[in-house]
Amino acid sequence: MTLRLPLLCSAVILALLAACTPGTGGGGGGDGKSFEFWSFSAINQKLTVDAYQAKHPDVQIKLTEVGTSTETAQSLTTALAGGKVPDLVLIQGDNLPQFVEQPQNFVDLRTLGADDIKGDYLDWVWKQSVAKDGEVLGVPTDVGGMAVAYRTDLFAAAGLPTDREAVSALWPTWDAFIETGKRYKQATGKAFTDNAATSVFYQAVNQVSEKYYSQDRKLVYSTNPQVKAAFDLGIKAATSGITAGQTSFETAWSAGMAQGQYAAVSAPSWMLNSIRSTAPDTKGKWDIARIPGGSGNWGGSYLAIPKRAKNPQAAWEYIKEMQSPQGQLEHFARVGALPSTPSVYKDDKLTSAKDPFFSDAPTGKIYTDSLLELKPFYIGPDSAAIGQEFLNAITNVEQSGGNPATAWDDAIRNIKTAIGE
Amino acid sequence: MTTTLLPAPSAALPPPASPRGRGWGERLSAYAYIAPFFVLFAVFGLFPFAFTFYVALFDWNPIGDQVFIGVDNFTRMFADPRFWNAAGNTVSIWALSTVPQLLLALVLAHVLNHARLRAALFFRMSVLVPYITSVAATAVVFAQLFDRDYGLLNWLLGLVGVEPIDFVQSTWGSHVLIATMVTWRWFGYTTLLYLASLQAVPRSVFEAAAIDGAGPWQLFRHITVPALRPVIIFTVVTSTIGGLQIFTEPLLIATGAPLTCGAVRQCQTLTLFLYEQGFGQFEFGYGSAIGVALFVMVVAIAAVNYLLSTRIKADR
Repeated sequence: MTLRLPLLCSAVILALLAACTPGTGGGGGGDGKSFEFWSFSAINQKLTVDAYQAKHPDVQIKLTEVGTSTETAQSLTTALAGGKVPDLVLIQGDNLPQFVEQPQNFVDLRTLGADDIKGDYLDWVWKQSVAKDGEVLGVPTDVGGMAVAYRTDLFAAAGLPTDREAVSALWPTWDAFIETGKRYKQATGKAFTDNAATSVFYQAVNQVSEKYYSQDRKLVYSTNPQVKAAFDLGIKAATSGITAGQTSFETAWSAGMAQGQYAAVSAPSWMLNSIRSTAPDTKGKWDIARIPGGSGNWGGSYLAIPKRAKNPQAAWEYIKEMQSPQGQLEHFARVGALPSTPSVYKDDKLTSAKDPFFSDAPTGKIYTDSLLELKPFYIGPDSAAIGQEFLNAITNVEQSGGNPATAWDDAIRNIKTAIGE
Repeated sequence: MTTTLLPAPSAALPPPASPRGRGWGERLSAYAYIAPFFVLFAVFGLFPFAFTFYVALFDWNPIGDQVFIGVDNFTRMFADPRFWNAAGNTVSIWALSTVPQLLLALVLAHVLNHARLRAALFFRMSVLVPYITSVAATAVVFAQLFDRDYGLLNWLLGLVGVEPIDFVQSTWGSHVLIATMVTWRWFGYTTLLYLASLQAVPRSVFEAAAIDGAGPWQLFRHITVPALRPVIIFTVVTSTIGGLQIFTEPLLIATGAPLTCGAVRQCQTLTLFLYEQGFGQFEFGYGSAIGVALFVMVVAIAAVNYLLSTRIKADR
């Protein structure tokens, strides 16, 4: 016994280790109808999953809210590298290119019938999930139309108009937006918007016809005059004194929003949820105006099926039903995410939708309008890293006393270090 | 499996009386007893450790191609301003945290060892409270205390007319903030190490010196510090190794850009840089190269420790 018990212990531990070895595949049940779904937290995915299960009582969906969109992409990368993969996963648009570069990790949705539904979606949104040999890796679930959310009470106190049409007329361009900010600052002494990097630069740079890559997928971030113009706008806003210097989603940004430290914040459609949950006491004090500079898109997500998924067919059935134009319209009614299927943009359910938190603003109409004139651009594997360095350069000028004159050159140098070209 | 649970006849017999005393089976059983630890260590410690050196030689995309590139990751690292920035930040934060921490601990240990201190146990226990507080909780509380707009510290400074200081966004401010957190967390632990060592010094030595007319400063200078010399060197080395691995505090204070600890990487430490490259950018090869560099630094410091401690022994 003295010998065998410890040997047995070791054997048990080895057996446990063997059981933990990756590669045993996803969690779907044995009936071929159930599947495992990874999504982001805080986007109310459960409502939609519940709706599907109510219609299909025989299907079991194991929903995991992994974390933020970035955390979900990180977990997915780890899982694809050698672990348990879900049958269905939500990928945010900014993270998509790194997966599109490696299509061998995903089911080519054409094999499941993606070509039949392709026509339902905005063409430029669909194209972003198409890999180099034409593989379709994801189906777009929503898009992120752009607008500006502003506090009517604070605008009134500063002597600015409060009606959303009149406010939209204040800022046809970003220069006019900054001028309005100066007026507000003069009247109240307070900051006009949260920060220059996300509320000005990141919006303006998403309104271009070519961003960091040209249409033929070459890097042009350092030579593209449209990017430089957006960057200069960001620097101008950062040095004009109209910003609160609050980096988006930091704790002080949340506190500042709840306390009315700033009066306007750029709001892609998914931001509305964030304002609602960050500053619930400000309900009814907000309204939504058009984005300066016309149209643009920031964000939006895709549903993809990893190659090693156990029940790809069940996951595909879910995609087909819930991401159909009708399914997305219902999703919009449930959580406010903007459909990626243009056929419902004129639907009464969308155009008549009003949001009481934002003074009954017709959110469906405002956001779909911002997509109409959109000029789609190519998003490449390094787009996210490039954007981050530009953001950092503007934040440096705004909050850390960086030199605005050298900011552009600094940003270009940092990007070259980060992406290696 | 079940059959091995049954006592086999041979195992139930007393061990054969060989001249050497024990059979090979029993000698082997010692290894079986320690095997669980070493099996787990090999799987979760040794293998990843060795594998890091291997991965560092590749351009390693976890979900794509893995291309052997030799030492390119290392040449890239030595030319990378972000690496040197992180190394500089690490050294700066280490110096700002270790020096005050060890001085504070030295003085506190001296005071806590005082013969006439009442409720000594209470004071000795309370210095350890920051150490047992979760580092994440400490970081969240300190980040709020030092906040630019809503922080208690800036509010107090505002009362005497000082403009609010943006601790997180400025280089020196973020270093001070992180160093304060590290000092706060570790000074009690170091104090107790010093105290334990001090208590080994016979009280009669202090008393004899006091009778000879030594004041508190002379007692501290000529008895406490020399008695603590080995443990001081030990704590310098451990806090240096700990300082190279500062990770949680910088990760948690700049919530807007956590992986770089701010817009211009003003408080990004080496471990955070490693994490950013490995698990933010998924450049596993480059991240591993940074890990190897960290390993070399820790080994170098451990070697210095070894030389110093052998010299101390030789001195005695």
